[in-house]
Amino acid sequence: MKHRIILILVLPMLIAVPASAVDGIPGDANGDDVLTFSEYNAAVLSYLDAVYMGGAGNLDRNDIQDAAWVYIHRDGKPLVVTDSSGRTLTLYRPLRRVVTFSGEALETLRSVGFDMEKVVAVDKFSHEKTTFFPECLDKSDIGSIWSPDMERVVSLKPDAVFLYASISTSACDDIQRRLEASSPGIRVFRFDCFKPATYPEEIRKIAMIIDEPRQGEEFASFYESTMNWIRNGTAEIPTDERVRVYFEYWTAYKTVAAGSGYNEKIEIAGGLNPFAGESGEYPLIDPEAVIVADPQVIVKLAGQGLTVGGYARHDPEALAEIRSALLERPGWSRISAVKDGRVYVIHSDILGGAQHFIGTAYLAKWFYPDRFADLDPRAIHQRYLSEFQGIDFDLASEGSFVYPG
Amino acid sequence: MRGSPANQFICLILLLVLIPATVWGATVTRTLSTAEPGAGEVFEVSLSIEGITLGGVVETLPAGYSIVGTDHPDDRILVRDRQVAFALVNDTLITYQVMAPSSGSGDITGIWEDFLGESNGTIPASHLAVDGIETEVESTPQERPTQEAAPPFSVLATVVALIIARWGGQR
Repeated sequence: MKHRIILILVLPMLIAVPASAVDGIPGDANGDDVLTFSEYNAAVLSYLDAVYMGGAGNLDRNDIQDAAWVYIHRDGKPLVVTDSSGRTLTLYRPLRRVVTFSGEALETLRSVGFDMEKVVAVDKFSHEKTTFFPECLDKSDIGSIWSPDMERVVSLKPDAVFLYASISTSACDDIQRRLEASSPGIRVFRFDCFKPATYPEEIRKIAMIIDEPRQGEEFASFYESTMNWIRNGTAEIPTDERVRVYFEYWTAYKTVAAGSGYNEKIEIAGGLNPFAGESGEYPLIDPEAVIVADPQVIVKLAGQGLTVGGYARHDPEALAEIRSALLERPGWSRISAVKDGRVYVIHSDILGGAQHFIGTAYLAKWFYPDRFADLDPRAIHQRYLSEFQGIDFDLASEGSFVYPG
Repeated sequence: MRGSPANQFICLILLLVLIPATVWGATVTRTLSTAEPGAGEVFEVSLSIEGITLGGVVETLPAGYSIVGTDHPDDRILVRDRQVAFALVNDTLITYQVMAPSSGSGDITGIWEDFLGESNGTIPASHLAVDGIETEVESTPQERPTQEAAPPFSVLATVVALIIARWGGQR
């Protein structure tokens, strides 16, 4: 047994621990952006001294917990992340209070294991999705990117806000400017989380931001395994052998063209969109043009305004009605897709946002049933919900996403 | 003693309800080499720590008792009067030595914090009395942790559960 006399009344190094600052790792006494082992221990003693022993330290409980987090998860160094807008941000602490203006970012945060208790406010659309985001019912609703409740956002004192990177950029830029002007030190992250080309990288970056790289890698691998299966299964199909697909948006005869996210997913699934060359991303076309194009597969998008199917409702009959109405359109009985029974309805919940890989799997299966005989989109969907989203949702009896199923 | 299945179920529920979640998280317990040291005797206090990767402990001795040594690294301790703070880094056992006064009794009290688990609690008090003779001592106030430690609740829950079980078994 060692007997060492230790009578330290005041450790001089404790005085060197800086006050909690907007930037800088708490406890980083010399401010060199590296929290060393000795600095960390000095910070702990300073905190314990101030709180329990009548000392004069100035670190509070959040400070020391953040210091411990950075020391163990980030090797005592700040985290530097470049978001999808190309901006590089430095994080000196873990995220404690997060606001999301993007449902896709919110969903991705949940996919990579973020503690959803730390999300303090969400956009109005996510707030309305009580089945998919049940934990958001009690969180603040901060409106949409087009009509944000900035006063509420600022009053919640978030340390990070998530916005879109490449859509509605002027609205998102404006929110970012206002936040950074009113809340120094706030971190505004810009991620899309719905584009196949960038989603894997975004998953990994968001996972890094919340110090969950393992969960991020697991989810990114799951996502990539599905998308690569589809890409590899269609890569060798010559253009003249690709299935002609007419994809119809929510509105009748409004289709998709090159540049739109839906067209990208059709192409990944091996489809050939005869209207890809139309001007604009969502062109309205002449009804006769569909008949002339004679698509081999027709896919109709459902789900506008939470009125039909999706996570909100189990009503396959509503999707069936949408399909029946398509079949009754004048002249459509002459279209190959109708004659062959290859007309499908898909809900936007699984094709437009972070779940686009599930919808794309359905497209591939519909376009090339033989090539993708072993692909099971429903199983992928169920695994996503159970394993990565952590919600109790049984696809056998809840929700309606495709028809015929 | 055998309780009916219903009583056993009630006991289980009581235990689950009354024992705070910290029972399954971090715990710190203290043992003494002796609770009745002789005058001026140096004795050992051991803290057994479970479930804390990065955290801290503060121990407060009764009046007259003094800390004279520890096996904890020098740069991870702070001694102020009758109190000692330990910075915890994957530690599972800390020992420190205390010198008893010529006379006096009182409790060693302590608190712990788990910084990564974001929880804290108290270490159950350990009573000391020089030569087993009780005297009046002043106590040193400490900030109360926001989350109370499990052991007092555990004891209460266990006692209540045992009473019910015994009552059920006798019926």
